Amino acid sequence: LPRSSSSISAPEALYALALGAARSAIVVGTAKNAGKTTTFNALRAVAQRRGVAIAVTSIGRDGEPSDALDAEPKPRVRLVPGTLVALPAGLVPRSPALAILDAGAESALGTTVFARVMLPTTCEIAGPPTARAMRATIDRLRALGDGPVLVDGAIDRIAVLAGGDDAIVLATGAASGATIARVAAIAADAVARLTLPGRDPARERERVVIVTGALDARDAEELLDGARGATVVVEDPTRIAVRGALFEKLRAAVDLRCERPLRVVACTTSPVGRDGALAPRALVEAVARATGLPTFDVVADLAA
Amino acid sequence: VTDDATAAERIGLDWLRSAIAPVGAFGRRHDDGVVPYGPGREPEARAEIADVVALAERLDPDGVARVRAALRAVPEPGPIVARARAGDSLGDVDFYELGRFVDAVAALGRAWDAASGEPERRPPPLDGLRDALAPGRQGGGFYLTDAFGDGLAPARAALAAAEAEAEARREAIAARVRDATGVDPVGEEFVVLRDVYAGPLPPDVLVVRETPTYRTAAIRVLAPERDAALARLSVEEEIARRALTERVAREAGAVSAATGILGALDRTLARVAFAQRWGGCVPQFAPDRIAFEEATFVPLADALAARGHRYTPLSLDLRGVAVLTGPNMGGKSAALATAGFLCACVSLGVPPPARAASLPLLDAVLWIGGDGPSDRARLLSSYAAEVVRARDALGVASPRTLLLVDEFARTTGPREGRALLVALVEALRARGAFALVATHFDDVAAAALVPHLRIAGLGERTLRAIGTHDLDAALDAINAAMDYRIVDAGEATAASDALELARLLGLETAIVDRARALFDGER
Repeated sequence: LPRSSSSISAPEALYALALGAARSAIVVGTAKNAGKTTTFNALRAVAQRRGVAIAVTSIGRDGEPSDALDAEPKPRVRLVPGTLVALPAGLVPRSPALAILDAGAESALGTTVFARVMLPTTCEIAGPPTARAMRATIDRLRALGDGPVLVDGAIDRIAVLAGGDDAIVLATGAASGATIARVAAIAADAVARLTLPGRDPARERERVVIVTGALDARDAEELLDGARGATVVVEDPTRIAVRGALFEKLRAAVDLRCERPLRVVACTTSPVGRDGALAPRALVEAVARATGLPTFDVVADLAA
Repeated sequence: VTDDATAAERIGLDWLRSAIAPVGAFGRRHDDGVVPYGPGREPEARAEIADVVALAERLDPDGVARVRAALRAVPEPGPIVARARAGDSLGDVDFYELGRFVDAVAALGRAWDAASGEPERRPPPLDGLRDALAPGRQGGGFYLTDAFGDGLAPARAALAAAEAEAEARREAIAARVRDATGVDPVGEEFVVLRDVYAGPLPPDVLVVRETPTYRTAAIRVLAPERDAALARLSVEEEIARRALTERVAREAGAVSAATGILGALDRTLARVAFAQRWGGCVPQFAPDRIAFEEATFVPLADALAARGHRYTPLSLDLRGVAVLTGPNMGGKSAALATAGFLCACVSLGVPPPARAASLPLLDAVLWIGGDGPSDRARLLSSYAAEVVRARDALGVASPRTLLLVDEFARTTGPREGRALLVALVEALRARGAFALVATHFDDVAAAALVPHLRIAGLGERTLRAIGTHDLDAALDAINAAMDYRIVDAGEATAASDALELARLLGLETAIVDRARALFDGER
């Protein structure tokens, strides 16, 4: 639904979808500069407006004025009083002082510190480097506060979330494709993989093939040759290493499932890319159609 | 104790070091600074071992385990305190870590009291550091509260007011945006679609990006008061941190003393736990005797226990050099290792796991027999490795060395090998060294004029009734039938029970019978 016909804003609607039934939401992107941090900040702004004290962290380093790799401008992370934050000791701002609550895993930037914001501050956030440490960090943030946990995440590091109740929001946009059709196709491919259904013994086919580790192109070819019609089970959706047409072919030929599913609840779009811009409204609608998920442009306040 | 990796492995020194390793960083550092006891330091070694034995008897093992767990949990304050002393201004995470240190030491003290530890060994409470940090420590965390500096409260109030003022200004601009465009400017940037609104944006709204279909805009609030308030707060917070850092620096001595006490306690409790698990005695220190009763070679006992087997304690009285003979699998190598292990124990201040012991402090324990990784790396054959080791050992052999010689020259011709061994034993005796020489060669002791000891072995307890090809069962049967005692050999020859053991271990009966016939014929 376009914003004009909805009673609540796109960020509000996304917030309700992501955190209505979950204590934590992780925003991941289909590409760099796909609008991940923008989505993360929009959710944070909604919480702030509602007076909800949230907890935030990031997979990897984020919040710098510009991206360390391509120098593209990146949104700063402005934190309001009451916010819980997990960040490395080396990034704890000296002023205004944070209240240090706890310490956790080590990273290259120092021990992960759990802190509460006491006065408004702007800082750089970087979470722990490993998936396991990230899971522990999210759980610790949940334990330290009552509010939701927001994570600026990474699509290749969400295996640890599989089987949990975390909501995943997929950010996509012009950074991942030059045309609306291309962006929508990439988003659809990612969503199809990430929303692989969980194993259901009652609906399993007669033949069940368990794939340990990654399911790559060679595995896919073998399954297409010798396991058509079977139920094929991988550990979690991130183990699917095949993309595009081969993945579609495999999904059509077998009953593809996973032991620990992920919970992808919505997509967001960013019309601005490095080499140009796409029409915001058309992009939202195309991604929603392609993925079958509620899709939002939280900056242009569009929903579809 | 020994610089030789092969000897360290054979006498269980590596195992022992691991078993008595402190659990915390302070203990490891303390241990690194303690040199093993050598000749002349008998009173110190005895005092430490007696202390460990007394504590092992008095403290509850569960209490010791809890204190050690508390020791493991104490964080390292050293680098932070060092930075404070060097003049760095510490950060809030540093103060948090120091608070954790104070808490952990207090928890350790409580654990020590609960274990009925003596008050004089109790870690100090670090009152000065605790009091310095107290205003910022609620719920185990740390915050640079207003109590740390007179200027903090007004600076924070000024910043809060300036933030509120800036936010009000932003909200006023946002209201104008909503009125003009119908767009709610949530977040730092917002988009205005041209098909929604294409007119001019209100003042104080900056266009960040423009495309044919939309404009990305941002509200820019100039708030010099806020910037000034933040700068002032930053100064006040640094003043407070500097003052607190100076207080921390003044506590450096107390922290250093506390970590020293924790290190010593960690070392002691590691030995106490060992003694509680394996037993131990306060030995007599005698320069001319390696003697022990019912001693345990703990690495072997531990391995046997893991497989459900029982270890038979050993007794030995060695004065100078002795030859040890006995059956295969009778424990000759274990006897050698036990002697070395017990000497290593006292050198490290560990109660030797024996009912009683009389041991010297030695300069070195050396092992000759077989080859080790370094020998193989040098591409030495087993025989060459043994000869090189013997050469090197003779170079340092003295009344303050123990040489453990395990079947020297077994891989060369038996007559030449025996002759070489006799000569080696004579040389060791001449140097006044301690040496226990295990061999299957006959009459070495008599030829070298040294005592002859033997493992009692299978003796009359023949195993002929047991006919099994199950290796585990055979090993159990051998273990049950073997008399592992070390006894005076008298005129006995170096019987090895090799044929009987070969039968029991499943070698074809016809071969064993033929061998027996040949052997009896030769006799």
